[in-house]
This record gives sequence, structure tokens and C-alpha cells, in this order.
Amino acid sequence: MTSEVANAAGERSQTNEERNREAVPVTIAVIEAAIWDALATVPDPEIPAVSVVDMGMVGTVEVDGGRARVVVLPTFTGCPAIDVIVGDVRSAVEDVPGVTEAVVETSFVPPWTTERITDEGRTRLKDFGLAPPTGKGPVLLTNIGLPTSAQCPFCGSKDTVNENPFGPTPCRALYYCNACRNPFEQFKPV
Amino acid sequence: MSAALLGIVTALGDDELVVGHRHSEWTGFAPHIEEDVAFSSIAQDEIGHASAYYALAAKLTDDGADRLALGRDKDEYRHAILCERPNGDWAFTLARHWLYDHADALRLEAMEETSEAELRGIVAKIRREERYHLLHADIWMQRIAHGPVEGRRNLMDAVGRAFDDALGLFEPFEHEAEAVAEGILPVGSDGLRKRFLDQTSAELDRLGFPTHMISTADTEFVASSSGDLLVEEEAGDAVEHQGGLGGRSGRHSDDWSPLWDDMTKTYRENPGARW
Repeated sequence: MTSEVANAAGERSQTNEERNREAVPVTIAVIEAAIWDALATVPDPEIPAVSVVDMGMVGTVEVDGGRARVVVLPTFTGCPAIDVIVGDVRSAVEDVPGVTEAVVETSFVPPWTTERITDEGRTRLKDFGLAPPTGKGPVLLTNIGLPTSAQCPFCGSKDTVNENPFGPTPCRALYYCNACRNPFEQFKPV
Repeated sequence: MSAALLGIVTALGDDELVVGHRHSEWTGFAPHIEEDVAFSSIAQDEIGHASAYYALAAKLTDDGADRLALGRDKDEYRHAILCERPNGDWAFTLARHWLYDHADALRLEAMEETSEAELRGIVAKIRREERYHLLHADIWMQRIAHGPVEGRRNLMDAVGRAFDDALGLFEPFEHEAEAVAEGILPVGSDGLRKRFLDQTSAELDRLGFPTHMISTADTEFVASSSGDLLVEEEAGDAVEHQGGLGGRSGRHSDDWSPLWDDMTKTYRENPGARW
């Protein structure tokens, strides 16, 4: 009888292990997806219309048991908003069901570039009044050396002129639209 | 902990912090609003770069990045003397900006091949931002080179005054031989200095500025019996250099003390404050 009980318990535990082997990857995938969904609601504090996901600032999301590890890629090295962003990301991840511990780290590997901004992010930047980045870095007018090619977020004209490759934050450049005569800012390509 | 790596990131962080602080002194005072914005933004970038270097240094030494930035004694800073010079007039500001950012671009380019993965990541990130600084400095050099004679003369004089100090950026780092041997520093300071001299003299020539003002172009640094770095002229006579050197071993000019006082005052008055 004793051996039967042991046997039965052994069979049960084996069955549970098998269930767990099948269930664990699904659970991790579900939690990871829930974390990405949660992060999609975390705004960039300086550009609240765009989420950190649309900005391409979320490098990786890893879940191990209840422990979630998220790597945030700072847009600019000297971005003063990074501590706020890390705190907001941590709060959002901690609120995801199944997460018992949230570790949020920053990294420059891979370097964040403006190419990481999603199409949705670009549309939202434009709607926010900030021209989306163009090209892969300072785009130069031959022989003059001034950055060019920003599309006016207000009227859509490309007849614009760079007035300053620097702006009110490290990530913005100043432009003027010759068509609608509005000054505007562009998210600087890096 | 690698002393060689620590020596390099400390010097790079100090260069960026101190030159960034000088740039920030134009906030509210630059000759026109666009330059006020530009120098403020460049300052913020440079101080941001410093914080990335200090974060790595802090990890190596189990220290705090803020303490490294603002809590050290004067003689513990390893920046080149060029960085601590007062802004002076607009011509000197532009000359220093142009020389510094060309030197920085060359060393960053070389360090993208560093054997230290974390430093490599920081450098790759910083390079993308530094392109804007170089662009800004180059535009100003071109603008004044093609402008009225008074501005040309002022800028030429300023480049001449800043040039010896700029060579101090290529004074060897602490433990440099070890850093080169380990691949942390893929190109030694002497090699970088030669690239800098080639590049800046070619560019000054292209802009129509006389290059004789770069009088130290054919000189080598040698260690004297006193341990000071001297400049040996081609003729072979060792002469004490007037300025520019010493920063990498913590021997700064008289300009450093008041700047250090100003830069670290708030930190020292509020020990333990959270930033």
C-alpha cells in the first residue's frame, strides 16, 4: 500500500512536471506580451504623445519566473528625462500580473538611433507638432554644411530651412517653414 | 579593475565635464540667441557624455558617478588644460570648440575599436551626437574664414593661442602603455596627435589661414629629469613648454582653481543631497 501511494504520488508529480514544461513558455510569452502592452502606455515625458515603445527605447524584455528584466536605450546620452523614464517603466512593469520583481537597466548597446522610432511613432511626433527625423544623421547641404530636409509638421511643405542644428532639448533642431511661415522643431536624426 | 581603463575614462570624462561647463557659461550670454541655444545644447551633450564615462568609472571603482564628477579634490581631475581655459571672447570660444571637437572626434573614431565592450558601446553612442558639434564648429570656422578681415584676424590669433593647449589633449593617459598593449586604447596618444596635426593644419590651409601659427607641429613630447613633459624641437633642444601640458597628471593652470570652486560649490555645500 505504501508503495502504491508513493507510486501514485510519483505519477502525479511527473504529470505536473510535464504540464509545467508545456505551460512555462506560454506563461512567459504571455507575461512578456503583457509587459510590452504596458510599456506601450508609458509616455516619453518630454513628448507625451509618443510611448517609449514607439520611440524604440525598449531594447529587450526578458521574463524569468516572476522576475522581469527590461533594458531601456536612452535616446541621447545626456537626456535628463532618463531617470523619470526608468521609474515610469519600472512602475508599469511591476503592475503587470505575474511580475513579482522588475529590474530596469539602461544601456548604450545597441545605441539608440532615430531609425528605431516606429511608423506609428513618426505619425504621432508629426501630430504633436514635431517633425520626424529624416536620414541617418546630420543631412548636409553640399558645400554649405547646414542640415536640411525636414518636412513641416503643420503644412507638409519641404520648403524648410534649418535655423539651428540645436534646440531646446538635446534631441531637437530648429527649422522655419517658408511655405506656412511657421517655426517648428524636428526630432534630430542620430 | 583595470587601472588603464580607469585612467582613460576618467580623463575623457573630465575633459567632457570641464569643457561642457565652460560652454554652459554662455547660457544667457552668447552673442545671439541661436548661439545661446547651441552652446547650451552642446554643453548638455558634453556633460551627458561625462556622466556616461563616470558611470563606467564608478562601476570599476565601486564609487558614485556624482562624486567622481563633483566630489574630487582639484588635483584629482585629469582633463587637458585647454578645457579649463576661460571662454574669453567669441573668437577664443570658437577656436577652442573647433580644436577640441576635432581632437575628440579623432580619439572617438580610434576608440570604436577598443577591446573594452562597455567603453565601445559608450563611444559608438557618443560619436553619433558629436557629429553635430563638429558640424557646428566647422560652420563657424568657414563663416569667419570667408568673412571680414577683423574677424579672420581675431580667429587666427585665437587658434594660435589655443593650439598649444590643444596638444595637451594628447598628453599620454595614465597607464597608457598598458592600455595600448591591452587594446583598450587602439591608437596611442602620440599617433592621435599626429593625426590631429595633419588634419587641423590641412583644414586651416584650406580655409586660407596661415599654418605657421601651429609652431609645435614637428615636436615630440619627452620626459625631462624632473618628470615634467617637455616639448623637444626638431633641432634637439628641449625647451619647457609654455602651456597645455600637465592636465593628465593633475597639474593644472591657475584657471582651474576658480572654475573648480564654482563647478563643485553646490555639491560641496550639500553633502549627501540626491540629484
